[in-house]
Amino acid sequence: MNRRQLWISLLLLWSLAPMLWQLISSFTTTAALVDGGVPFLQRWTLIHYRQLLSSDPPFWRFLLNSTVLASASTVLTIALAIPAAYGLVRLPQRWLRVSRALIAGAALFPYVLLFLALLELARSLNLGNSLLALAIPYSALSLPLALLLLTAAFEGLPKDLDDAAKLEGMSLVQRLRWVLIPLIAPATASTAILVFLFAWNEYPIALTWLSRSEQLTLPVAMARIAGSSVYSVPYGAYAAATVLGALPLLLLVLLFQRQIVSGLTNGAVKG
Amino acid sequence: MTWLLLTPALLLMALIFGWPMLRYAWLSFHANSVLTGLVPVANGGANWMRLLADDRFWQDVLQTSRFALVSVTAELFLALLIALLLDQRWRGRGAVRALTLLPWALPTTMMALGWRWIFNTPYGPLEAVAGFVGLGPLNLMASPQWTWLATVVADVWKTTPFITLILLAGLQTIPADLYAAFRLEGGRSIQALRDITLPLLLPYILLSLLFRLAQAFGVFDLIQVLTGGGPAGSTESLALYAYFNAMRFLDFGYSATVMLGGFLLLSLSILLGALALRLSGALRPLQP
Amino acid sequence: MSLTLQSVGRRYGDTWILQNLDLEVGSGECLALLGPSGCGKSTALRLIAGLDTPDEGSIRINGEVMNGVPPDRRRVAMVFQSYALFPHLCIRENLNLGLRIRGVSPDDQRRRVASILEVMQLGSLAERRPSELSGGQRQRVALARALLRDPLVYLLDEPMSNLDAQLREELRPELKRLVLQGPQPVVYVTHDQQEAMALADRIAVLRNGRIEQIGTPRELYERPATLFVAQFIGRPQMNLLHRETGLIVGIRPEHLRLDREGLPCRLIGREWLGAGQQLLLECSAGTLRMLCDGTVEPGDDLRVSWNSSDEHRFLDGSGTRMA
Repeated sequence: MNRRQLWISLLLLWSLAPMLWQLISSFTTTAALVDGGVPFLQRWTLIHYRQLLSSDPPFWRFLLNSTVLASASTVLTIALAIPAAYGLVRLPQRWLRVSRALIAGAALFPYVLLFLALLELARSLNLGNSLLALAIPYSALSLPLALLLLTAAFEGLPKDLDDAAKLEGMSLVQRLRWVLIPLIAPATASTAILVFLFAWNEYPIALTWLSRSEQLTLPVAMARIAGSSVYSVPYGAYAAATVLGALPLLLLVLLFQRQIVSGLTNGAVKG
Repeated sequence: MTWLLLTPALLLMALIFGWPMLRYAWLSFHANSVLTGLVPVANGGANWMRLLADDRFWQDVLQTSRFALVSVTAELFLALLIALLLDQRWRGRGAVRALTLLPWALPTTMMALGWRWIFNTPYGPLEAVAGFVGLGPLNLMASPQWTWLATVVADVWKTTPFITLILLAGLQTIPADLYAAFRLEGGRSIQALRDITLPLLLPYILLSLLFRLAQAFGVFDLIQVLTGGGPAGSTESLALYAYFNAMRFLDFGYSATVMLGGFLLLSLSILLGALALRLSGALRPLQP
Repeated sequence: MSLTLQSVGRRYGDTWILQNLDLEVGSGECLALLGPSGCGKSTALRLIAGLDTPDEGSIRINGEVMNGVPPDRRRVAMVFQSYALFPHLCIRENLNLGLRIRGVSPDDQRRRVASILEVMQLGSLAERRPSELSGGQRQRVALARALLRDPLVYLLDEPMSNLDAQLREELRPELKRLVLQGPQPVVYVTHDQQEAMALADRIAVLRNGRIEQIGTPRELYERPATLFVAQFIGRPQMNLLHRETGLIVGIRPEHLRLDREGLPCRLIGREWLGAGQQLLLECSAGTLRMLCDGTVEPGDDLRVSWNSSDEHRFLDGSGTRMA
């Protein structure tokens, strides 16, 4: 094995080992988890998965909640960001630069700080525990990144195309629908997947906004499972939850990895 | 007409980013806790005076800064190595790149308990490896001195892929011809790294630095689940402290003060850092 | 059909890109806007199309004032220098899109697109994307799209500048036949004076946002109003001789001839081009360019002369023509 292959192996080991460990643990009996001396053949069980799937609310419920929330956030973000990005590109240079700086600043903002005010809003408007309502602040948090990526995409289009479309008799809406939006499709896909991942991963705001068990998103549910008992940590169940919860995300990332990479790449180069 | 396109998005952002800060500013000058029956009562600058004298707050500032600096430095270093590796052309590169991206995709809370178990003494695999190598019981999760390192490891594991992608993007903007010309001038690979790669990568490094420092400042998910702030508050972050004040102690006024105070400190450090960079001339290659 | 620009002006910051522009293009007429880069000719085109708004003056198409009318409602067709074909659509869809948006019935859409594809000989390329076509083919598609627009005015923004010389020569007569023969006014922007002379009924020479002269190609060639026009029109460039102070005399290279009793010259350069040749001569009056037949062999004793009636006289300083 040459030197590069060694590095690659180390890299893969570093990246994947913790997850593989979770996978192995999820099939390990509770007894074997704390006792390395248990004979190999007696270490394995499906009990953790059974516990998880028969729990109340059932585990797949959390996956569903996260999916609903993430989908709603993504749709709302894209719907707001595309027209806004187009508008930004049409602004005079000075305004565009200022806006870009402000948006970049918002992208850097540590959003965890917003939890208190958003909690108050949720309570006073009686929107706590509504997944769809939570999508609204999520969109706001995703908009900076979406705007940066989509403005860069619109800027990348030759200006003549918009002009030619105007002379063909197309109104603004028609131009967006037939020419501009189709042409930025790759950037839109990248943005969508990044927003989707963010919504799935978000924790502090979901933690304070949602309280009912049936409404919890995956990260919140996981944290609850981790802290559910003061005396013993249900580690096996937690490992099983990790495996089940991670699967959809891992599949998503592997499927869309090209879009994710190009989204982050373009963001970095143009930002 | 253009403004119509922009308004919904800008309005939403202004609302969600702007309103909380205004609200916190107002709250920080009011007492709003169990003691006041959860009704805000103006108390002048009492919260702020309390903040200035609050040892726990300043301890958290130090801890959070320590966490952020060490974590981000380690990530940058590691990400650079990985990016250099991924920038070269070899078979299976795309697949490896995708696989290294996976840690970043998973929610922090999901892997946090896993890390707790990995570091667990005496049952975790880290302990097993340490025992194998001959090191004594590490007890990493129960040491006020060293547990924070465990949080750094977990954080580095999750966020390095993100920085790797940014640096990789930067590496790919460097024309291959530059290296060829450098070789013809008699330079060697290590020198190329120093003279060509790093200077041209500087904007991307700074971008990652800025982004990650701001994020690390707000670290919450990891700390809450991995250590809960302990042992003895040695890993507690500012965000966690603010959270405790609001949700556990039900002192909303002070929680707002903690957050606002922390945010001001962060902004100040970023501004000072940017100023220092400007003055030192390190930013000159970035000027248009 | 007509196009009128009255005192049109366009400013950018403190600089005026166009000033006091007065133009009239009549039915079936082709007016060329000729000038060096930065003279404002493309800006003028964009103003007519509605892609930009004038700071002063008015634009009228068929008598109707166009100020304030957005480009999508002006019924103007433009062929862009970059062709501006929609990259995500095949050629057929590129041509179809405008028709569909404008509410033409599907049957009509099909019929008209098929007809234009045949006229422009693009039938075999209909399903291809613009990126798969050559420059010349793309230009024909851009032209086809403009024809389909059935506009009130045709605007052509250096449509051939991206093509090599040979293609340009092949496409010029085709362009003339398809666009210039119709009843619509055509405004043709170019920096190539040869193209302007070949295609336009009248030429407006622009410089720094103002019109130096408008006239037929012949007028511009035979009686240039300023030094600038005199040097811009006609290749090779007109020779300039400084006579008494305040007077500049111009004589075109093609008007010089070998004359045993003429001005003695020394040959310092020669470009033989086949049918003709360009000689660079040094004489007491300065350096002269001469255009003559390719069969001529310049000997050792070179003398040239010209008819004084072929001379153009200009005032030194202002560059204006003296009667």
